[in-house]
Amino acid sequence: MMEERIKVLYIDDEPNNLVGFKATFRREYEVLTAQSPAKAMNLLETHPDIAVLISDQRMPGKTGVEFFEEIQSIHPAPVRMLCTGYTDVKAVIAAINKGHVFRYIQKPWQEDDMRAAIEEAYNYYEATSLLSERNIELIKANTELDKFAYSVTHDLRSPILSVLGAINIAKSAKTTYEIHEMLDMMAQSMVKLDGFIHNIHDYYTIKRGQLNITEVNFEELLANLKGIYKLDGVTNNIDFSIRTDINGSFRSDELVLYIILNNLLSNAFKYQKRDKEYKYVRLSIEVEDNHAYIEVQDNGIGIHEAYLENIFDMFYRATNEGFGSGFGLYNVKDALEKLNGRIAVSSRKNEGTLFEINIPGK
Amino acid sequence: MKPIQQYHFIIIDDSPFDCLIAEKVVQNAQRYLSVKSFQYAQKALEYIAQGGNQDPNTKNIILLDIQMPVMNGFAFLDQFEALPEDITSNYVVFFATSSINANDITRGNSYRSVRHFLNKPLTTINMQQLIDRLVF
Repeated sequence: MMEERIKVLYIDDEPNNLVGFKATFRREYEVLTAQSPAKAMNLLETHPDIAVLISDQRMPGKTGVEFFEEIQSIHPAPVRMLCTGYTDVKAVIAAINKGHVFRYIQKPWQEDDMRAAIEEAYNYYEATSLLSERNIELIKANTELDKFAYSVTHDLRSPILSVLGAINIAKSAKTTYEIHEMLDMMAQSMVKLDGFIHNIHDYYTIKRGQLNITEVNFEELLANLKGIYKLDGVTNNIDFSIRTDINGSFRSDELVLYIILNNLLSNAFKYQKRDKEYKYVRLSIEVEDNHAYIEVQDNGIGIHEAYLENIFDMFYRATNEGFGSGFGLYNVKDALEKLNGRIAVSSRKNEGTLFEINIPGK
Repeated sequence: MKPIQQYHFIIIDDSPFDCLIAEKVVQNAQRYLSVKSFQYAQKALEYIAQGGNQDPNTKNIILLDIQMPVMNGFAFLDQFEALPEDITSNYVVFFATSSINANDITRGNSYRSVRHFLNKPLTTINMQQLIDRLVF
């Protein structure tokens, strides 16, 4: 398998040694050679995937150890081995201390010894590069977790504290009107808290869950959504219309699809302009060749152009309107990634917002 | 007897509920000349920069939330403290927050205009005591 061959760079000022090395190993490994540290440096720049570096110690101008020391900070990944014919104890000690050398190979080398050393070096290379990859992932996950904990603490506590505040006010209220006003607030705070907990639940459903692919029953899905938003539409005088054009079947995860639609519709209903005479939310679903095209459109408050690129970020909120948690659209994006889908948004402040979604069926 | 000092209050909180609660607490504490709420910190900043209540002989207390979208409490203070001294010297800030994050508290106390760090829910008694002990 060509592409899985180990990339080895051999550095020696003696051209014969280079030729000998290449002749011995070119069938097993992808062998690069350099007659000087300067040339080796160029090769390291152009081949960032070099896994094993073998250098002669005694070269004019620069020793192998000096070269390793020099590249330590720029090219830390390749595993280094030092090759020398002299039993030079100082060089060996320096190699270990300064050059981060994995192995020391006596010249003239034996083919089997060299092969074993390269294989071991490569195993070490794979283990460490995997480790550093995992480390990067872990750092990212930890940062996200910090942000998550900070924001979740805030979002869970603030409705509770609002209610406690309202209770204090209600206790010293002088009129029943004031008490009712506080009770209304408490109820709304609890609705907000419940909504937030639903968002967290969605977050974990998407993040941790396995996809459950079935033929999507749009009739049932839409009946569910209609049930949720019908009342909202009537009480707030919002015209809610659904258009479908389903041709053939569409295979996907119904729950994940539901989370996407529910979040987008919830936003469309939430961010309406209260003073607008004709308010609408339009949902359109087309299925063709096991591919779904979905549009959610409203003529609400819209999103300022400057905020559009951030709206899918976790906990990002572009407005104080409504009870946003900064979770909804993040979940939508995450859910679409799971389904290999794509989303586009276009919006104008005070005119409305259009989300266009494109999901391939499984 | 020392006369009871009264102040203008500016409440900055993204939650309309919390604005309302803070208004009621301020009213019940009975040390107010006026109360004004802002859901957007930017709007409050503009109001203050343009002279606020336009009454040069009175002092103002700002009740400020930390975690708010668009402009949070810290961003507000950064810009507020950059306003001319003859404006800012008429204001003190009380943080009113649900945050229990140690970084937020340390950072909040590093602003010279911040006098107190209040945890929500605000209470009338507590508010009254803090106001009466306040020295401009």
